[in-house]
Amino acid sequence: MGGGGCLAGQGKEPRLDRLILASECDVKNELICAPANVNDLFVAHGDWFHIGDFAFNRTTFLILLAAVVSIALLYFGLRRERLVPTKFETAIEGLVTFVRKDVAVDIIGPEGVRYAPYLLALFIFILVGNLFGITPLINYPITSRMALPVFMSIITYLIFVVVGFAKNGFHFVSDIVWPKSVPIGLRPLVGLIEFVSTFFLRPLTLAVRLFANLVAGHLMLTLLLGSGVIFVLAVPEVGLKSLVGVAWFGFGLGIYLFEMVVAVLQAYIFTLLSAVYIQLSVHPQH
Amino acid sequence: MELEVIKGAIALIGYGLGAVGPGIGIGIVVGNAITAMARQPEMAGQVRTTMFLGIAFTEALALIGFVLFFIA
Repeated sequence: MGGGGCLAGQGKEPRLDRLILASECDVKNELICAPANVNDLFVAHGDWFHIGDFAFNRTTFLILLAAVVSIALLYFGLRRERLVPTKFETAIEGLVTFVRKDVAVDIIGPEGVRYAPYLLALFIFILVGNLFGITPLINYPITSRMALPVFMSIITYLIFVVVGFAKNGFHFVSDIVWPKSVPIGLRPLVGLIEFVSTFFLRPLTLAVRLFANLVAGHLMLTLLLGSGVIFVLAVPEVGLKSLVGVAWFGFGLGIYLFEMVVAVLQAYIFTLLSAVYIQLSVHPQH
Repeated sequence: MELEVIKGAIALIGYGLGAVGPGIGIGIVVGNAITAMARQPEMAGQVRTTMFLGIAFTEALALIGFVLFFIA
């Protein structure tokens, strides 16, 4: 692009070199910075070290960090039972109670307690991962890499398929493929739709929903906040036109608030849908 | 015009079309959930959970469109 390295060349703001947008943004002719390739915004640049074929980079580190933070939250929140818990402990207890009572038991039924630890782990890990996207200095939601949502959705898939077979035997599949409650002429059609929807679309949409929401959020935040900073800093060079950056930055701050809601909501929906899928395997009639 | 540009434009239109249905659907789901909560506030918790489920299922098509937009 024409204005390549326009900001990096000034040498005023060394940290801006690390903004991918800054290196290819044409502040003179464009109204917003768009990256040439969206993938650049989601790839960690440079591996820290290798262990065999396994490369350790910033994304890997953040995934481990999210796991450590999740475990630490639960450990320090529930370490000891106090008569009067601190605010932090009350919050963590509320979270655990919420997942256990309002998600696991309310959706799955009394047996839901068995699945509560899994759902709680899902909820907290996804929540921490999503909130990384709006944490200053991290600014990267790890759940926007397809590997994590797919992995978690495969685990949910295995759980509900195994539980379905364990509870209902072969009827688990035959009731889906040949639904008894439907008129006989429609059974092959409904059975086919139900089969595809249960065994293919459920895990796919479960993973894609989380992934797509976080990708969209990260894209909007990067483009708006990044463009805002780059344009405002380019005012001496380009003139009044680049004050449009103020509008981008303000809009970006609005999206930032929206992303807080999305982060919590998507973690909740992933957990809720996992619970619903497990429930449909535990009690297939409903 | 380059083929890539045309492909991107068509993918964009496809995603736009794919987002129409779920948009209407989510409107219906949330609207009816609000009606239900207004009529029976004591059921609000249960209605809200069901509303999120309905939104999640309705949203699926738009999400598939979103992913296809990036794949295309």
